[in-house]
Amino acid sequence: MAGRTADHRLALKLALSVLVVWLIGMAILVRSAALGPDASGKMLAVFEPGTSQDAIFSTLVAAGGKPIRNTWLPFVWVVAGDGAGFAGRLKEHGAVGAYGELPFAPSVAGCLAYADAKVAELFTLRP
Amino acid sequence: MAAALQRRWFFAPGIIITAGCIISIISFGVRSSMGLFTHPISEAYQWNREVYGLAMAIQNLVWGIMQPIAGAMADRFGPAKVVATGAVIYALGTALMSFADTPALMYLAGGVLVGAGIATASFSIVMAAFGRLVPPEKRSWVFGLATSAGSLGQFIFAPLGQGFIAAFGWQNALFLMAAITLLMIPLALPLTAPVAREQATAKENAQIGMREAVRSALGHPSFVLLVLGFFVCGFQLAFVTIHLPAYLVEHGISEWLAASAIAIVGIFNVIGSYCAGIIGGKYRKRISLAMIYLLRSLFVILFLMTPVTPLSTVVFTASMGLLWLSTVPLTMGLVMVMFGTRYIATLYGFVFLSHQVGSFFGVWLGGKFHDLYGSYDPVWWMGVALGLFAALVHWPIREERAPAFAV
Repeated sequence: MAGRTADHRLALKLALSVLVVWLIGMAILVRSAALGPDASGKMLAVFEPGTSQDAIFSTLVAAGGKPIRNTWLPFVWVVAGDGAGFAGRLKEHGAVGAYGELPFAPSVAGCLAYADAKVAELFTLRP
Repeated sequence: MAAALQRRWFFAPGIIITAGCIISIISFGVRSSMGLFTHPISEAYQWNREVYGLAMAIQNLVWGIMQPIAGAMADRFGPAKVVATGAVIYALGTALMSFADTPALMYLAGGVLVGAGIATASFSIVMAAFGRLVPPEKRSWVFGLATSAGSLGQFIFAPLGQGFIAAFGWQNALFLMAAITLLMIPLALPLTAPVAREQATAKENAQIGMREAVRSALGHPSFVLLVLGFFVCGFQLAFVTIHLPAYLVEHGISEWLAASAIAIVGIFNVIGSYCAGIIGGKYRKRISLAMIYLLRSLFVILFLMTPVTPLSTVVFTASMGLLWLSTVPLTMGLVMVMFGTRYIATLYGFVFLSHQVGSFFGVWLGGKFHDLYGSYDPVWWMGVALGLFAALVHWPIREERAPAFAV
């Protein structure tokens, strides 16, 4: 019985280690996809979880953009805005991050992007 | 001297299993990301999809044909040397793909070299090594673990490959994949472990030559039934992998959910394969295999009889994921029960060849029948019938040592 538990523990450790390495790889990719304030065009807009859909649309309109499609995560939208500085305006009006189109499922991308935006926020905090 | 060898840290069972599982992850993962290069490569050289598609078809066929040969080499020279050689061939093929600007070169690099590399550095070879290294009561579990690791590779390499292509371009992405493949060389080192249970292993194997072993196995009715059953596994998996996304889009499912369907299969496959390993250690493997094929047919029938919706898509792909490669640890386990560990890589290679032939027909007939009838339904139903056939043929398999291999 103890042997079996040790076996399953080894399997779990292995799976977790692989997932950690994978997450590090994905985090690097997501960071490289983060857009600067001058960016425009089609992008992934990430909001705080719990933000109402009305508030998200208001932000998009105020930033001069339009929604393209939603994802399985209600706080992550694929959006587009032509005017220069669209990404910066999105953030000014409440989005936590804007990312270039990430080459995987928007829901996964949204989760990773949200985590990335929050970490980036921590590092840009000034006293 | 032998005792000193066995004390090396990388011969600890945990290290051997971890290294073997990472080899499975890389071998399966890199291969599963090959589909991501269809579009960029075809676009770069203005090829139609057929060129890259044919290269991948050749890859699958070479993989199947090479598997018994690689298995025989592993049984003769040891799994570590074979995996390391396979890693070099795999990396060479993957790197050469980035220079392959003619169809012939692509068939050679992506088809022949990568196919041969996958076979020689495959999780089948790793499982065969595990079979010799762990005691009989842990074999089924460790086969499940290795298969599960391969599935995990499929799941994690797909987004990674997409990310590489997006960030560095497809040619550099292929180089990165080739570099990752080379990691299998140092990882093969623990597989050189002297078989700690050498005496025990000798006790459980008949003293016959390889040629005699292959001849006896191919004439053993239970082995033939197992080979026939695994043909069905290949048929069903390849058909679903290649044609399910198109089927879903035809039925109004969004493109991104259709594309994610195989990822859903992948993640549930990790759980399914691992559990199948545990089940194989507790219950009769032939019955478990029959149940898997029966359930596959049942889930396909339910999927075909109900309207295709996002919910039904997720439920179907998750169910299929649980049953996906769960046949592998049970099939490998049965081969080991019937023939022992000595020629396991060779004999499993023959079973796997049947799987790959089934894969070829699954992919080919899927496209052919769709062109003829404008629908995938005939091949879905063919898969159902074959699943029932596989369930039936596993039932009479004798889960015991084959007479020629008795000790």
